[in-house]
Amino acid sequence: MLKLRLLPWEYGVRNLFRRPARTGLTLAGLTTVVLLVFVVVAFLRGLDASLAVTGDPSTMLVYSVGAAEDIESSAVPAQLPALLSASLEGIERRYGTDYVSPELYAATRIGVDDDRPKMAVLRGVTPAAPLVRRQVQMTEGRWPQEGEVLAGRLAAAKLGCRPEALAVGNTVTLAGREFRISGRFAAGGAAYESEVWFPLADLQQGMQRQDLSLVAVGLAGEASAAEVQLFCMERVDLGIQAIEETKYYALLQSHYRPVRTLGWVVVCLVAGAGIFAGLNTMYGAVVGRGRELAALQAIGFRRRAVALSLVQEAVLLAAAASLVAALLAVALVHGAAIRFTMSAFALQVDSVTLLIGCGTGLLLGLLGAVPPAVKAMRQPVVEGLKAV
Amino acid sequence: MPLVEIRNLTKQFSKGGETITPLNEVDLTIEPRDFLSLMGPSGSGKSTLLNLLTGIDRPTSGQILVHGTDITRLSRARLADWRAANIGYIFQTHNLIPVLTAYENIELPLLLLPMTAAERRKRIAIALEAVDLTDRADHYPRQLSGGQEQRVGIARAIVANPTIVVADEPTGDLDARTAGHILQLVERLNAELGMTLFVVTHDPQAASVAARRLQLDEGRLVESEAAAPVAALDAGRRRA
Repeated sequence: MLKLRLLPWEYGVRNLFRRPARTGLTLAGLTTVVLLVFVVVAFLRGLDASLAVTGDPSTMLVYSVGAAEDIESSAVPAQLPALLSASLEGIERRYGTDYVSPELYAATRIGVDDDRPKMAVLRGVTPAAPLVRRQVQMTEGRWPQEGEVLAGRLAAAKLGCRPEALAVGNTVTLAGREFRISGRFAAGGAAYESEVWFPLADLQQGMQRQDLSLVAVGLAGEASAAEVQLFCMERVDLGIQAIEETKYYALLQSHYRPVRTLGWVVVCLVAGAGIFAGLNTMYGAVVGRGRELAALQAIGFRRRAVALSLVQEAVLLAAAASLVAALLAVALVHGAAIRFTMSAFALQVDSVTLLIGCGTGLLLGLLGAVPPAVKAMRQPVVEGLKAV
Repeated sequence: MPLVEIRNLTKQFSKGGETITPLNEVDLTIEPRDFLSLMGPSGSGKSTLLNLLTGIDRPTSGQILVHGTDITRLSRARLADWRAANIGYIFQTHNLIPVLTAYENIELPLLLLPMTAAERRKRIAIALEAVDLTDRADHYPRQLSGGQEQRVGIARAIVANPTIVVADEPTGDLDARTAGHILQLVERLNAELGMTLFVVTHDPQAASVAARRLQLDEGRLVESEAAAPVAALDAGRRRA
């Protein structure tokens, strides 16, 4: 028995150029569809990554009980850092410095680039902040002194201004007071990258607050989160709670689940539209070739070989569209900053995004080709040979 | 053993609630190197018999034995494999693949057989030479005349050296002069290459090149008395 012999590869390739206008339009349509899939997946990947990389398992956040997972609405006493340092043995200490970072966190409008005030995420910090925010790295300039600020890598995206507006040496305005940008920092994609960091005292003055939003505590290797949590429960008078920083951002991530679900629904809808583009092309390609496909079977090619050739054509077109879309995504989409509620993050066209985007593209080609191929193969050879 | 033995072959189909029987208990024996033509009015069942002989259609009853194998019992996939190895098909409308060159069209049946690329090249060169189209090997069908297209179709039918070459109205789409050239070529396939040929036609001139002439009459096959084929007579005169 002879094994399945396939039609020549060139047959499928050259058939794509038989109707150049139709092929070109389908290529453009599929490329757009796959590019949209790339954008949505890059959005979801970027969102996931920004929350996933934010947080250190050895860092505890201590904030007010009533704030739930909303640190912005938290208010803890200004003396809490000192209390924690004095009461907890598990706090990491090095060269006489406690890894305790008092912070004030606020979302408010600041003036940038002589334009109207823009909504920004601000964090008032002390020099202890980098001890517990280990991902933070200065990329330019120096640590801010009084009257100065640090701008995160994606702060401009969050503010909706040009990145040059936050260049070192420029100023931002808060509560009528100018602050000079003394440096810029990155945090490996963490949520802090979209923030502007002020000296704690300056931000407290600007926000007219004496208290703090939270205290971030770095634990020593052998220390347990339970010790901090126990302290919080014992000090009912302070009204505080403690949570591991990683758990805090995991909780935030779960809040974004509806957004992620919506994103995947969009991917499915867009892909569904792409299937119709593929179906339209392949039905068109098959309708005019009934006699040719029948002749191939009369010569001795099996139905399956002819059907596979039709699928090959569609998948080839889908692969070309996926490739073009992938190149466009890497060139134009990857790294683009997106403003999103309390932060900003970069779209991520990583290997997973490429795999999902290209896989969707190829699947579109496959699903678009199978029904027309099956329809063509159902026609008896005798009838096909009579086709006009 | 005969090359082909058709026994009690019947084909019926329904059309508008009426049962039509284009072939009714037909018997036919084809010997190696035979050259048969089949004539009959339109709708008489000529193409139906050819389709059954090539296995692209199924009979209502009866047997078709080729080299002792009853092809009516083969599965669709096995039939495709069997056609690749045993049938050379010349179509009325050539049915060349427009996106493939003459060379690539001729190569198609060889891709279905186990052979090396070198063997394929050799066979295609011989087939192209047989139809006198060596210089048109790289041309696409749209760059060929109707007669040239049919010659490529003939080369494609003979290139795999099939058990039997069938032709369905091979001159139906050609002008008289080109049709004459094609008939001469078809006759040469039998006379010089010893190929077994079965030609379906409604053209008496085309039928006359065959040594055995069959007629379909109300579902029955009638063989007319043996006569020397016209082309063979011409060749005989040329030799004289």
